[in-house]
Amino acid sequence: MEKVKAVVDGSPSFLDAFVSSPSIPDGWTTSAESSTAVSPTPMSMVDELDELAQQVEGVRGAILASVDGFGLACSTSMADEPAHPAMLAAAVGLAQQLAAIGGGNSLHQLVVDHDAGLLLVWPIGTQRVLALLASTRVDQRRLRAVVQSHASTFAGAVA
Amino acid sequence: MSQVFKILVTGPFAAGKTSMIQSVSQTKVISTDVMTSGEESDVKSSTTVAMDFGTYQLPEGDVRLLLFGTPGQSRFRFMTNILKGEVDVVAFVIDAEAFETHAAAGVELRALLRDLRVPAVIAVNRCDDPVLARRLARSLGALDGEAAVPCQLIDPDSGREVVVEILLTLLASMESTNIEVA
Repeated sequence: MEKVKAVVDGSPSFLDAFVSSPSIPDGWTTSAESSTAVSPTPMSMVDELDELAQQVEGVRGAILASVDGFGLACSTSMADEPAHPAMLAAAVGLAQQLAAIGGGNSLHQLVVDHDAGLLLVWPIGTQRVLALLASTRVDQRRLRAVVQSHASTFAGAVA
Repeated sequence: MSQVFKILVTGPFAAGKTSMIQSVSQTKVISTDVMTSGEESDVKSSTTVAMDFGTYQLPEGDVRLLLFGTPGQSRFRFMTNILKGEVDVVAFVIDAEAFETHAAAGVELRALLRDLRVPAVIAVNRCDDPVLARRLARSLGALDGEAAVPCQLIDPDSGREVVVEILLTLLASMESTNIEVA
């Protein structure tokens, strides 16, 4: 049986300080697409996600999306699936409302604990959502610290 | 004891679904609005990413509507699929002036009604003309028996006119299936 856990409390998110860029084009940005891009930003964002995935043992992939459901980038290990960023945006949108049930004002993390591992989702600032696929044995404390170290880059991501 | 009915409020992006629920709900609306980005930010500044939820109860307290609003963009279609279960009436909201949305909206409306087999009310937003509202609803594929309501959904009174049509539609549906009204 799959479980969904929203981790909330009343304190501000550790990522709240990071604010996103305003413009987000449609669709994913992958390594292949970025090779023809004018700006070097998309390539470096895929690299950033790849690096994050490699920094912590047990992480299988990463997705960066806008809060309104557009894909910005995904790690090279992830399938290019346009539905994923929309589902992540919807899940975070709902989880933020669910936080109110517990008296919380700010969503810190969403955890989907399922039979094939974990899906960990973080709001990044006010405009981005980061999701990581990980094994159930992943060191979540270390993972959180690594995500925090990348957060300012992700908060400013544009495809 | 009140009878509870589930109303699916759906339609294209920026048609007025959230406005309708906000204008008529008697309880605090649960909304999942976030800032829009890209081309959608040229249309409006915020959008629903999961659902809206509001309620409306008749003064007598014997009928209560639960209003479930969907996102409008096709990338969030999975939310409509989640929310459409056990729906009693579809309130399909369309912006009369957003002509570019009408063709896809017609396809969506027809598919939804074929799937759900429940009555629909077509709320034609930004429209004051009943004849135009009826014509637009028919162009979307609405049947003659389905109500088309011209409305201005930023106005609560106008939103309540849509609710009245929903209630009348529910009543007609119950009478046709011989379900006793509480």
